[in-house]
Amino acid sequence: MVQSKSYRMMRTLAGWAIVMLFAFPLYYWLTVAFKDGREIFNYPPQVFDFKPTIRNFEEVFGLSLGFGFGEQREVLPGGGNWKMGPRLWDSIVIAVLSTALALTIATFASYALSRMRFAGQHHFVSWVLSTRMMPPVAVVIPVFFIYKELSLLDTYTGVILIHALMNLPLAVLLMKSFFDDIPKEIDESALVDGASRALIFRRVVLPIVKGGMAATAVLCFIFSWTEFIFVLTLTQTGLKTVPVVSSTFVTSTGTAWGNMAALGAAAMIPAFVFILLVQKHLVRGLTLGSVKE
Amino acid sequence: MAPLIMMLVAFTIIPVIYNIWLSFHEYSLFRRELEFVGLLNWQKLFSDSRMWGALGTTVFYFVFVLAIELVLGMAIALLLDAEEFGFELLRTVLTLTLVVPPAIVGMMYLLIEDPEFGVLTYVLDLLGILDKSTPILATSSTALWGVMLADIWQWTPFMVLIFLAGLRALPAEPYEAAMLDGASGFTVFRRITLPLLSKVIAVAVLIRGIDIFRMFDYVFVMTSGGPGTATYTLSLYSWQQTFSFIKWGYGATLSLFTLIVILILANLFIYVAKVRW
Repeated sequence: MVQSKSYRMMRTLAGWAIVMLFAFPLYYWLTVAFKDGREIFNYPPQVFDFKPTIRNFEEVFGLSLGFGFGEQREVLPGGGNWKMGPRLWDSIVIAVLSTALALTIATFASYALSRMRFAGQHHFVSWVLSTRMMPPVAVVIPVFFIYKELSLLDTYTGVILIHALMNLPLAVLLMKSFFDDIPKEIDESALVDGASRALIFRRVVLPIVKGGMAATAVLCFIFSWTEFIFVLTLTQTGLKTVPVVSSTFVTSTGTAWGNMAALGAAAMIPAFVFILLVQKHLVRGLTLGSVKE
Repeated sequence: MAPLIMMLVAFTIIPVIYNIWLSFHEYSLFRRELEFVGLLNWQKLFSDSRMWGALGTTVFYFVFVLAIELVLGMAIALLLDAEEFGFELLRTVLTLTLVVPPAIVGMMYLLIEDPEFGVLTYVLDLLGILDKSTPILATSSTALWGVMLADIWQWTPFMVLIFLAGLRALPAEPYEAAMLDGASGFTVFRRITLPLLSKVIAVAVLIRGIDIFRMFDYVFVMTSGGPGTATYTLSLYSWQQTFSFIKWGYGATLSLFTLIVILILANLFIYVAKVRW
């Protein structure tokens, strides 16, 4: 279709305007992270004209970088001491290990699902998927009591297991769609040459799906990194991840918006970086592989 | 395969069985132990007006959020499906909303909708839509919309990305034929684009629909169900009954009920829309 210049101009402007509207809350959140205490509470809100400071970050991470502005507050609202370094560490340990677990199980299982044929295979795949439909609250209540019996509450093991499980259906389906893309003839010709299944898997198939594995891993990482209800329920004091600990910044004596925004902003960085790395595989993962690119 | 099956059995079948068992019991505060109560929890469930209220809120939230995200997502995807100046960058920017933890998005909107200094409060007041003296999240008529806004902001870009990928994969021939016939833009969309995208739309509705129906994070951090019971959803109500009010059996019953409703709705949809993976 031949489109007039003014039509294209309008379209470009409309696209930019809408996306900027979606980006605005993130920008506003960042300004709060860099605002000094009083400036946050100004009305009308200051969106562009404020003096940036890194004090919120220093307080939240218990650092003194030496070029902060003004005195550090001794007691934070709520009386707490928010050294968030350990919480960030908890988030990283849980996300990395649960991703590794989910990816390992999913890679072997989906290779099998992709290459073997067995009775009721379609039902089996449907069953794996249907576990993604379970409301977290229907899982977390019984798991809480089972964990209590097994002393798994407040442990890395407990949270890692449940996060890996939460990501398994997605990981299996995604890996299966990547394996399905590899022609079976490749495996078969190697089999004829006398290679074992294990050798083919390691030397031939795995190198081909490396990109797909990376995308799956990133998605699992992000879902674990952002998960809320399981960590909220299955941990008390021993460990906490960033989303859960952020919600504790709202206290009866006030909300430490600046500190909360700083922690939130810092917590977004790893997920942002990862998503940019695997962007082209992202959609396939989010749609459970239903959109083939 | 074996580890996959073991994990799924351990974390799906066993919890569901345990939940069923729990729904026939209730924790007694006096005896400090679980007592068998038979069908009492299930009877209570169906006569509990707060449960019906929570179900109503969940359905309202589900219908409006899903509809808005679908229509808005499709419109933005059609708009951005072109190679104009900077559109590649804009599509990347949209992915950023997806990696922010929903709990943190909830807090972002708590700040944006703050009655004292929130930027949305300011804009709405300026435009004369909502007076500054009406706190969005503490007024029962607006609180749910305040929560829905956070959901719509975070997940409309998700719809955009899916539909963009779907649009990119469309064949060119039907469009060339339609152009020869001189069909209008809207006719082309309704007669060609929509039918060809139907599978992608169905999967988007299914995935998002399940997530919307079991939504927990936004209400938990933004309103905790308040003001009054205006923003109680089924997930939040069952969680609170279990962990705040120590009604272990009733909470389990509520969560089972949520699971049953989701499974019925999802399977009905899968059957009607013929979703296949």
